[in-house]
Amino acid sequence: MENTLEKKNRVKDLLDSYGLPRLIITCFVLLLFIMAPMVGADLTMQIGNVINRFSWNAVLVLAMVPMIHSGCSLNFGIPLGIIAGLLGGTLSIQLGFTGTTSFFMAILLATPFALLAGGGYGWLLNRIKGGEMMIATYVGLASISFMCMMWLLLPYTSPTMVWGLSGQGLRTTISLDGFYGGTLANFLAIPIAPDKGLYFPTGALLFFALLAFAMWAFLHTKTGTAMTAVGSNPQFARASGISVDKMRLLSVVMSTWLGAVGILVYQQGFGFMQLYMAPNNMTLPTVAAILIGGAAVNKASIPNVIIGTILFQSVVTLTPTVLTAMIHMDVSEVVRIIVSNGMIVYALTRKVKGGAK
Amino acid sequence: MNKRRLVFQLLLVLVLAAIAGVMMLIGRGHTVYFDNKPLEYQGTSYESPYKIEVHVGDNADGDAISKLYEGERTSATQIGQEITITLIITREKGGDEEAPVTYTIPLPYNMDGPIINLPAYLAGLPEEAYLSEFVPVITEEPVDEEIVIDDGMSLGDF
Amino acid sequence: MKQKQRTKFSLKRLLQDNSVPIMFVLICAICFPLAGYSPSYLINELITRMGRNTFLILALLIPIMAGMGLNFGMTLGAMAGEIALILVVDWQIWGIPGIILAMIISIPISILLGVFCGNLLNKAKGREMITSYFISYFMNGVYQLVVLFLMGPIIPIVHASLKLPRGYGVRNTVSLLSMRQYLDNLLAINVNGVKIPVLTFIIIGVLCLFIIWFRRTKLGQDMRAVAQDMEVARDAGINVDRTRIVAIVISTVVAGFGMIIYLQNLGNFPTYSAHMQIGTFSIAALLVGGASVERASIGNAFLGVILFHMMFILAPEAGTAITGDSMIGEYFRTFVSYGVITVALIMYETRKRRVKSMTGHLLAQAQKEEEARSK
Repeated sequence: MENTLEKKNRVKDLLDSYGLPRLIITCFVLLLFIMAPMVGADLTMQIGNVINRFSWNAVLVLAMVPMIHSGCSLNFGIPLGIIAGLLGGTLSIQLGFTGTTSFFMAILLATPFALLAGGGYGWLLNRIKGGEMMIATYVGLASISFMCMMWLLLPYTSPTMVWGLSGQGLRTTISLDGFYGGTLANFLAIPIAPDKGLYFPTGALLFFALLAFAMWAFLHTKTGTAMTAVGSNPQFARASGISVDKMRLLSVVMSTWLGAVGILVYQQGFGFMQLYMAPNNMTLPTVAAILIGGAAVNKASIPNVIIGTILFQSVVTLTPTVLTAMIHMDVSEVVRIIVSNGMIVYALTRKVKGGAK
Repeated sequence: MNKRRLVFQLLLVLVLAAIAGVMMLIGRGHTVYFDNKPLEYQGTSYESPYKIEVHVGDNADGDAISKLYEGERTSATQIGQEITITLIITREKGGDEEAPVTYTIPLPYNMDGPIINLPAYLAGLPEEAYLSEFVPVITEEPVDEEIVIDDGMSLGDF
Repeated sequence: MKQKQRTKFSLKRLLQDNSVPIMFVLICAICFPLAGYSPSYLINELITRMGRNTFLILALLIPIMAGMGLNFGMTLGAMAGEIALILVVDWQIWGIPGIILAMIISIPISILLGVFCGNLLNKAKGREMITSYFISYFMNGVYQLVVLFLMGPIIPIVHASLKLPRGYGVRNTVSLLSMRQYLDNLLAINVNGVKIPVLTFIIIGVLCLFIIWFRRTKLGQDMRAVAQDMEVARDAGINVDRTRIVAIVISTVVAGFGMIIYLQNLGNFPTYSAHMQIGTFSIAALLVGGASVERASIGNAFLGVILFHMMFILAPEAGTAITGDSMIGEYFRTFVSYGVITVALIMYETRKRRVKSMTGHLLAQAQKEEEARSK
């Protein structure tokens, strides 16, 4: 009798820690995978697509980790990092780099922008502790719309990037063929269904693994544990002589830089660079992914990143094919909007245990 | 206190529902079509006059919405359950205009575009004879509209 | 000497407190000659936009009064208004009755959404703004679901001018030709070629009176108490959670009405995106008028609507005049909207921190004095 009660409690605890929305999403994804062959979708193809999309997005999601660790909560200011990445990418092409070189040059060129933007952003966030998320959101939006003007005004000249007719102002979408499109993915790529252009993106996954390992290693260094301490208990951290502001600043710079690298990885997978309003479309999927992976507003780990990205990308990849075939309506966009925003609302309204609040 | 409040809230809901009901009655919009066409009804044929001048309203002072010669059609939009028109009829070509006469025609609620055959109406025939519904010619659209779902920032006016 | 110093100080304070409106006056002053619009055109446009948007902006005041910050969830009301309008258009109710009917239909939808939003915000005390921001995005998904998939098979939509040829979902644009500017044109007067929509302004005036009256009611007083300190308010016997929900519900209902007034002026609306920017622009306009996250008055709303729209009208033309690219001005005004909100939020947070540390200081000092006295 007592035993069953205990078991019940345990199940309830497990459910609580896993979270109902996550459970629903996980079941939904499983259902999609089971239904896929039934509605005539090629399962290998679908899984291959999920893996590819994972390789595009994982680094961006990883960029959430440092800031969550240091207690700066969800990084809605990721567009700042993305813009640094876009500057790096466009400059690399403008300076005439091609192929794999252009990718690493893009990262190199993006770094100073990321450091600068991240530094300023971190300084700002240190002055407004407690209100980070709202301000981050609007810093992101303001910087995107500011850069919209800049893309038009900056003196780029590379004919692959500027509007053909007027010869000035960058295009909204720039093809990366011949530059760094597919650079990482093609490295040691294993064919899955070559006739349909589906390959296993070994290089891109290795690149992510490298960064994820570096992040894991960093979080276990002295600085890394100090950062975690700042996030989980700032009073205690301050008492033990850690500079809270410095740690937060470092985490923001790291997040911003990873955001810059993340968008470049995304672009090499996607094959196109999207400017103007496009960076805004990256924020929600990124934040939602890490939350689906089990992160909270003040807690995140590398497994959260991996699981979350796989789950979210499965939803995005599978709903259009499977659900459309099942109910003959294309509800994928709507599902994506509801899932990603619903996840964020859930995370925000959840009781934070022992948080900085 | 609490009971009074409940009654008050219930009353408010009722009043709003009543207003909504009234609005649905007086706000129903119609596009009314007027025909000047001869017709045959129950074996009798009704000739159409040479010309009908149609005014909306209870007088013929303003501009006519149309001068209908035989076989012609005109239309007017009307909010509400009836339409008041004033007609000036000329029976024969070259004949004199008759004095303006005002009619009020009830419009059926569930018809977006009622067609009123004036010769039939003027002859005092029942509703089924003078009233029919305008069915727009459906031009088959080959492709569906592309629905653009927007979930973020976009430029816009305010 | 001392007197002089004080006036200087207060002037500085005055400039500081009104920095955003002053900045906007400057922007408008710079843009005005560049845009090259005639004053009469400008005034006409401004009056139209005032009638169109003030009601929406006023929807933000009550949640601010209840200490819940800027209600990004007003978008929910806008969606309720849009759904009501779609139904009314399909039922072919025209003119003023159509507008009134749409308003009445929007009320239950707004209340439902407002209660939903308010309940969630009660679970996220201290971060209402970001939560309401994402609730509006979440509900946008639900709105798409309803309008794109449920309208047709479940919610009957009859007219082919509204329904997509495939049998479900509403077209990209809903035409409101049957009620376009009916509200604005009834009782409208013409002064030197400037059309003044008197009835719309009367409705806005009634809302202002309602807000002023509401502040003095028991509920209004409760809201202010909740804004001051939730714990104290709870001890005083105020049902804090309920009070906060009521504030959001009122805001949502008003936003729904505001959206209907806004759209009847425009005469048609993009079904799937009309509400998206409403929250951002309304909030930006209110902040431009000198409001802050914790204090906003009716005056702020009016000043804001004038200055913000002046910028909105002038920026595209001025941008074209300077750079030769028409997009620059459009991006610029979007940037300014976001920028204003960012600045206001930063000012709010820094002030909150300053006050917090100041009260901490005062508390410590009082404690010390107490100790000294007891000795």
